[in-house]
Amino acid sequence: MNITRRKFIQSLSLASGSLLLFPACGGSQKSVWRFLTTEEAETIIALAEQIIPGDQDPGATDAGVINFIDKQLVGFYSNFQETYRNGIAALNQYCHEKFSQPFEKLEWNRQTEVLKLMEKNSIEGEYWKENPASRFFRMIRDHSMQGFYGSPRHGGNRDYVSYKMIRIDFPHIIGQNRYASRCETLNAFAK
Amino acid sequence: MKQRKLYRIFLIAGIVIAGFFLISGSFYTYWSVASPQKTCLSCHEINPSFNTWEASAHRDISCFECHGTALSNGLHSLKEKSGMVFTHMKTDVASENLRMTELQLLQTMERCKNCHESEFTNWKSGGHSAGYADIFLHETHNKTEQLNGDCLRCHGMFYEKTTADLVDPISQQGPWKLIEPEKTRQPVIPCMACHQIHAPGETVRQPDFANPNNIFYARNLTKNSVGFYSRHEKKHFQLEQLPRPDMVLFGDTVQTPADPVYRLCVQCHAPSVWHEVGTSDDHTPVGVHQGISCNACHEPHSNNQRNSCDKCHSDVSKNCRLDVRTMNTTYANPASSNDIHFVGCVNCHPDQKKKSN
Ligand code: HEC
Ligand code: HEC
Ligand code: HEC
Ligand code: HEC
Ligand code: HEC
Ligand code: HEC
Ligand code: HEC
Ligand code: HEC
Repeated sequence: MNITRRKFIQSLSLASGSLLLFPACGGSQKSVWRFLTTEEAETIIALAEQIIPGDQDPGATDAGVINFIDKQLVGFYSNFQETYRNGIAALNQYCHEKFSQPFEKLEWNRQTEVLKLMEKNSIEGEYWKENPASRFFRMIRDHSMQGFYGSPRHGGNRDYVSYKMIRIDFPHIIGQNRYASRCETLNAFAK
Repeated sequence: MKQRKLYRIFLIAGIVIAGFFLISGSFYTYWSVASPQKTCLSCHEINPSFNTWEASAHRDISCFECHGTALSNGLHSLKEKSGMVFTHMKTDVASENLRMTELQLLQTMERCKNCHESEFTNWKSGGHSAGYADIFLHETHNKTEQLNGDCLRCHGMFYEKTTADLVDPISQQGPWKLIEPEKTRQPVIPCMACHQIHAPGETVRQPDFANPNNIFYARNLTKNSVGFYSRHEKKHFQLEQLPRPDMVLFGDTVQTPADPVYRLCVQCHAPSVWHEVGTSDDHTPVGVHQGISCNACHEPHSNNQRNSCDKCHSDVSKNCRLDVRTMNTTYANPASSNDIHFVGCVNCHPDQKKKSN
């Protein structure tokens, strides 16, 4: 059903030259994400899934934690942009040197081991000398939790999966503060 | 010399104006007749709305039947629609942030009437069509409970500002007035409080007449287009996504209606935070009608419950062998202590503790 933008613009120009009205609709996008590249996103998805793995309950991937992180990186967390970009690059450089694969391609247990190294700040690499890996780990952990347990308004917790998991009614069912109990029938029950 | 210059200015102005009309005129014609793929969809932000429309019950209905064309409401609407585009250019909002104003929504609602007249008039005849003045200038309510921001969760969910921008003063003394008088009659619970239009749905098809029994099996269990609009989240929750509350009565768990429509009603007709039946505005049936859903008795839109008893009760009730409509309940007499939502056998037969319910 989709028509290409080019084709549309052509037909629009034919109609009246009203291109004027849509100057902002051009431009192409490389990644589906706002800040991250496709490759960076793959790595973060794997990292977050390690922190909150899906089992009988949904995990970070089901909850769309990646969407939270990416959305916040162009908003409230834009000061973390560089930390993410460089940290992911350094992590994948390590994985390539050791295992010839990016982080997300490693086996589950191996990923866990790499994360443990990061947490203990004992992962090898030039970059990590200046920028403690433990700090990077904590950042990913915190952001994953926020994306998983926070409101979907902020980009994560898709379909309120975590609220459902911990049985929070959402939207909350809470009445207004009624000044008087209106129910005599139930008061009679109480006696 | 001077005259020539003036003439030139007029000429140029004339060309510019004529050109403007030519452009906007043909643009407008094009906009109105072309398929949505070629007009509305042109802006990539609309794309998600297009996709949801295409999968909805309204997929055979053009955008402008509901949203109007740029000129259908005069310049005001044009300004607002270009406003939609401008926000985009200025701040590059992601499509998820694209939303109509309350006024645009109410204008859209006027168009529902064209096709859904009976639902509209039923809605109008019931409590859900109350306007801003009815809710926010209510003497008794305002004297007993301080106006606050939470009121807008259940009435005025599409209002863009705060209660303090709506009513003056925010106090228990009064006298109160609406700051914007045009809001007086605007409905606080418009159709979209309970309906999401850009949601999956099926268009009506004729059944397979060859096999009448299959008509039943082709029917859907619930309607996706019914949902609750959460002001807090600025989005709709479809019935299935709404929580079914754990309700209690004097410490015992209460069996709540399985019907998902109950979950919609209980969002506003809600109990206190402890979820005790009958607290605050809760009407969850207990006693003889426990488990029966609101819309078994209340018709949608009008809320009318006048003719409902006959659907389940014959001339005399099963247990008491009496006409339920004349028995001592609030149905027969509003002053009765036997509220039809909560009455149990023990209320009328106190000596026979817990006969069955
Ligand atoms: C049957 C009426 C109807 C039709 C047809 C319709 N819309 Fe909507 N539209 C609505 C309503 C009502 C809303 C408010 C949100 C909702 O209920 O889904 C809305 C919301 C929107 C929004 C704001 C974003 C949002 O989801 O709140 C956009 C943009 C939009 N519509 C575009 C379109 C386009 C483009 C078409 C045609 C392809 C279209 N609409 C067809 C009724 C309609
Ligand atoms: C131009 C006519 C038209 C307009 C305007 C219109 N509708 Fe409809 N609506 C229909 C038709 C027709 C159907 C039945 C579906 C079908 O067969 O295509 C329908 C179905 C529905 C349904 C049931 C959907 C389902 O899943 O079963 C709801 C709810 C509804 N409309 C609400 C609205 C609301 C609210 C508005 C105003 C925003 C609106 N409609 C505007 C024609 C219209
Ligand atoms: C949880 C949803 C909810 C909230 C929050 C809420 N109301 Fe209501 N309100 C209702 C419902 C439901 C009714 C209908 C009650 C009934 O008829 O049993 C109602 C009825 C009313 C009425 C009609 C008269 C009456 O007392 O029943 C007024 C006036 C009113 N509300 C004002 C307010 C104001 C002012 C606030 C904020 C202080 C507020 N409401 C907060 C749900 C809510
Ligand atoms: C308080 C919530 C509420 C409001 C407000 C509301 N509706 Fe509904 N509507 C419902 C429910 C619940 C149903 C489903 C009824 C059922 O399936 O038994 C429904 C069903 C419908 C249907 C489908 C009817 C059918 O037979 O399939 C249409 C059309 C509709 N509503 C239109 C409207 C219009 C137009 C308005 C505004 C004038 C409106 N509704 C306001 C709750 C609401
Ligand atoms: C968006 C909040 C909201 C939802 C959802 C809602 N109501 Fe209401 N309802 C109200 C408010 C507010 C009033 C009081 C309006 C007034 O009298 O000023 C009311 C009044 C009523 C009344 C008394 C007035 C009348 O029309 O007879 C009935 C009955 C009722 N609602 C039934 C229902 C049922 C059944 C449902 C579920 C299908 C439902 N309501 C869903 C807010 C809501
Ligand atoms: C067994 C039928 C029945 C069921 C089920 C039922 N009602 Fe009612 N309701 C009535 C009748 C009859 C009235 C009229 C006056 C009365 O008896 O209280 C009424 C009145 C009301 C009123 C307005 C009067 C008041 O008490 O404030 C509201 C609001 C209401 N019902 C909401 C609901 C909601 C919400 C549900 C579902 C949780 C529900 N009802 C379930 C029959 C029913
Ligand atoms: C959806 C079906 C349904 C509707 C509609 C309904 N009732 Fe009932 N009612 C029942 C059931 C089921 C019982 C319980 C019978 C039992 O427990 O044996 C009952 C019991 C009663 C009783 C207790 C006396 C007896 O003989 O059991 C009264 C009184 C009553 N209903 C009044 C009403 C009134 C008044 C209305 C209309 C507002 C109404 N009911 C609508 C299903 C319904
Ligand atoms: C609204 C009040 C009311 C409710 C609720 C009610 N009853 Fe009755 N019931 C009566 C009245 C009034 C009579 C007739 C007077 C009498 O004989 O005591 C009666 C009579 C009876 C009788 C004797 C019938 C006969 O033929 O002699 C039985 C048995 C009975 N009720 C059982 C029940 C059961 C079981 C329930 C709960 C499902 C119930 N009642 C709920 C008011 C009520």
